[in-house]
Amino acid sequence: MTVLQEPVQAAIWQALNHYAYRDAVFLAERLYAEVHSEEALFLLATCYYRSGKAYKAYRLLKGHSCTTPQCKYLLAKCCVDLSKLAEGEQILSGGVFNKQKSHDDIVTEFGDSACFTLSLLGHVYCKTDRLAKGSECYQKSLSLNPFLWSPFESLCEIGEKPDPDQTFKLTSIQNFSNCLPNSCTTLVSNHSLSHRQPETVLTETPQDTIELNRLNLESSNSKYSLNTDSSYIDSAVISPDTVPLGTGTSILSKQVQNKPKTGRSLLGGPAALSPLTPSFGILPLETPSPGDGSYLQNYTNTPSVIDVPSTGAPTKKSVARIGQTGTKSVFSQSGNSREVTPILVAQTQSSGPQTSTTPQVLSPTITSPPNALPRRSSRLFTSDSSTTKENSKKLKMKFPPKIPNRKTKSKTNKGGITQPNINDSLEITKLDSSIISEGKISTFTPQIQAFNLQKAAAEGLMSLLREMGKGYLALCSYNCKEAINILSHLPSHHYNTGWVLCQIGRAYFELSEYMQAERIFSEVRRIENYRVEGMEIYSTTLWHLQKDVALSVLSKDLTDMDKNSPEAWCAAGNCFSLQREHDIAIKFFQRAIQVDPNYAYAYTLLGHEFVLTEELDKALACFRNAIRVNPRHYNAWYGLGMIYYKQEKFSLAEMHFQKALDINPQSSVLLCHIGVVQHALKKSEKALDTLNKAIVIDPKNPLCKFHRASVLFANEKYKSALQELEELKQIVPKESLVYFLIGKVYKKLGQTHLALMNFSWAMDLDPKGANNQIKEAIDKRYLPDDEEPITQEEQIMGTDESQESSMTDADDTQLHAAESDEF
Amino acid sequence: MESIKEMNIFKMTTPNKTPPGADPKQLERTGTVREIGSQAVWSLSSCKPGFGVDQLRDDNLETYWQSDGSQPHLVNIQFRRKTTVKTLCIYADYKSDESYTPSKISVRVGNNFHNLQEIRQLELVEPSGWIHVPLTDNHKKPTRTFMIQIAVLANHQNGRDTHMRQIKIYTPVEESSIGKFPRCTTIDFMMYRSIR
Repeated sequence: MTVLQEPVQAAIWQALNHYAYRDAVFLAERLYAEVHSEEALFLLATCYYRSGKAYKAYRLLKGHSCTTPQCKYLLAKCCVDLSKLAEGEQILSGGVFNKQKSHDDIVTEFGDSACFTLSLLGHVYCKTDRLAKGSECYQKSLSLNPFLWSPFESLCEIGEKPDPDQTFKLTSIQNFSNCLPNSCTTLVSNHSLSHRQPETVLTETPQDTIELNRLNLESSNSKYSLNTDSSYIDSAVISPDTVPLGTGTSILSKQVQNKPKTGRSLLGGPAALSPLTPSFGILPLETPSPGDGSYLQNYTNTPSVIDVPSTGAPTKKSVARIGQTGTKSVFSQSGNSREVTPILVAQTQSSGPQTSTTPQVLSPTITSPPNALPRRSSRLFTSDSSTTKENSKKLKMKFPPKIPNRKTKSKTNKGGITQPNINDSLEITKLDSSIISEGKISTFTPQIQAFNLQKAAAEGLMSLLREMGKGYLALCSYNCKEAINILSHLPSHHYNTGWVLCQIGRAYFELSEYMQAERIFSEVRRIENYRVEGMEIYSTTLWHLQKDVALSVLSKDLTDMDKNSPEAWCAAGNCFSLQREHDIAIKFFQRAIQVDPNYAYAYTLLGHEFVLTEELDKALACFRNAIRVNPRHYNAWYGLGMIYYKQEKFSLAEMHFQKALDINPQSSVLLCHIGVVQHALKKSEKALDTLNKAIVIDPKNPLCKFHRASVLFANEKYKSALQELEELKQIVPKESLVYFLIGKVYKKLGQTHLALMNFSWAMDLDPKGANNQIKEAIDKRYLPDDEEPITQEEQIMGTDESQESSMTDADDTQLHAAESDEF
Repeated sequence: MESIKEMNIFKMTTPNKTPPGADPKQLERTGTVREIGSQAVWSLSSCKPGFGVDQLRDDNLETYWQSDGSQPHLVNIQFRRKTTVKTLCIYADYKSDESYTPSKISVRVGNNFHNLQEIRQLELVEPSGWIHVPLTDNHKKPTRTFMIQIAVLANHQNGRDTHMRQIKIYTPVEESSIGKFPRCTTIDFMMYRSIR
């Protein structure tokens, strides 16, 4: 990349970093028109992709040759977004027809972005039904970069059981450095290297400050960087002297100065790279470091700080390059001499010819005075663990300086990010400084310290990910109690985040504990009302609890907020389904499917609606679609089972319920259904066993007891049936079915008085329902020889629309009617 | 003689207006019935352009079907399979339709056009809302049929054509069809009844 392009590139990246996509696109188009290089092409495609127009990026990249890994990766990403999976696969791995590249080939080709490439490839494989290959790719991707959560999540969802302990750990420095694009972390122990790096950096980029700033701003770019120079020194510092373009820097410097000094990330790594992720361990810039003022190690948060090397501000604390003398550079925050640091992540741009070397440096900068101990922004590690909290046990760093670290970890998965807890940092810094001043650290050289600190921060994140991983894995295996347990033990500031609470809510939902689930989900809505993922479960919970007002509020809010999310439309559909307006519910579920055809739950819900409107063929198709999208969606298997049950194809029904049970073994409702089906298949013993199992798993499920009682009744074990029903009466005193069945049992036992009493209670509790059932019972008993009594009954029934008819008449009717031994 | 005349006069001066029935939506909400008009093919003996089947089935009481032929005017509802029908709801309003308001309606069921049998005939006197017509057979059970025909035999004030604003047809929700999982009354039971 020639010098001419660099300012333009810097401007484009700056625009991108400020989400000014129109500007970025325009400039990128001009740059590309000027220089038809692949780097410019990539830049333009990136601008299109980021502005949300994946199709533009796709067509652009397709139309030109892409040989660089980053272009290929972007093209593959566009293909996947546009559902052109075969093409994406071909780009990444040579496709089905050509010789496939092995994972190692991919790793060498894509270098640092191999982890993302493999993750994408894994996604493609999973979507095209090659789960084994997909899981391999995910595993490899995780081994390359344990900071990635989504491959882990995908592995759990396809049913694999990745071990969180094995996955989320930093195995080696090499690993560590590979993950973080500018390996702001790897600390090179030998000085020579460290010397070399900055120099190369400097020499390569005369206008590095601009680049620097640009790079600082543009953190995500880091992904693509760094192939060769993986081991950078953290604080590569670019001296302000090298700033040639005064205007550029001044503008940028202004920018930098205006940036909110929210915190600096210790970890220059991925966390710091993206402007969005708050770093792990944050040091607010404003807080003057108590204690030693001489050193200052500030790790700036990418977006917040891009310290422009203030030209000619040598008075500012210079950020020393690790292992470097303090003479170079000064990146100090304006004003505050303590604060230094732009975290500069040195990073070379793309691989290949254009190493424009825009060093993007994100690294904790260490103050120059060599003797000064870097004030470890231990703040890093701890947000509120200045006191030893139980969490800190988990997160203690392994090495000697026992700095209590409580790393504020960026939220996983959903990208929600907890804000650094600034108050805590003060405490921590105090504590740290005290520890530091003990002099333990002084034995370490600055660079090793910095490295250790970074490593510690990463370790902290890893341990959090391990815990969350265990919880998530348990949830995906439907080990819900375990999952709740694990997730509840997360530190409270992580516990009270949308993602964690949603998982816990879902766990309660799967356990059929809808009250608890509702409580948790309403908490989620309170703290993160912008969250839609997981709200479909909340809407179904409300549907089960029949809370129509809450459900309608939820669905209105969600649909107002995001009309493009399937979850919102699912909630709306659930709302109308609860109101028994099935046609409208169907319409909304179909909308959810339109919005996202890969969303299995929408198909399932649609299937349930079709069942309710008696359109069983359509329902079957819907459930099958759901299974096509996600074979582990046990609700869809259940739905199929229910349809076969309605059609009285009991063995098919049992098979499907069993499949659902294989996926989710702890569901008492499923066991209950299986028991009922087995009873219908005349396997009453098995049915009882199954129902017993169900009751053991979930003693609170009244339907299991009810069905057990009816099976016992059918098998003429009246005493035990009665016992069961008496217990049930205590649990659910207002359920008319219970009294109805008790009445039938008493009738069979010949205790007509008690039978009558119970029937009348049943009728009281539910006049219409009782009538229906009794009518049904009569239907079943419609036999030619019994005509007389039956017509009499029917007469009475016909006139008996309300409870006002004389009790004796009604009771007689019921007595006769209740002869049926089926329910 | 005079007394008879008196009686006749007495009858004429106090016609019993057909009282309006409840909104069928409430019926739906009880969960005991389901509207199945969407599963049927609707046809009319005649209609004015722009006032046809769509207006009859659009859930809008402002729009109506206007016939355009000779009496009797027919609405035919044909199902794909033999369906249990419990109630027919017709909306008629004398105040807005005056001479177009039907006064004598005959409901016939059968397998096809040649096989229809009248099961209900109703007289309407200045109706002002929904009319619920229970369709039960001799045994007081909802009828099972392939086809229903609603025939308007006469209108108020001897009008030729008729307006009909909305027609809804309901089937009973089969509890047993949810398969041995009968309708429960309490939420506690219903929560565990199914997986959604």
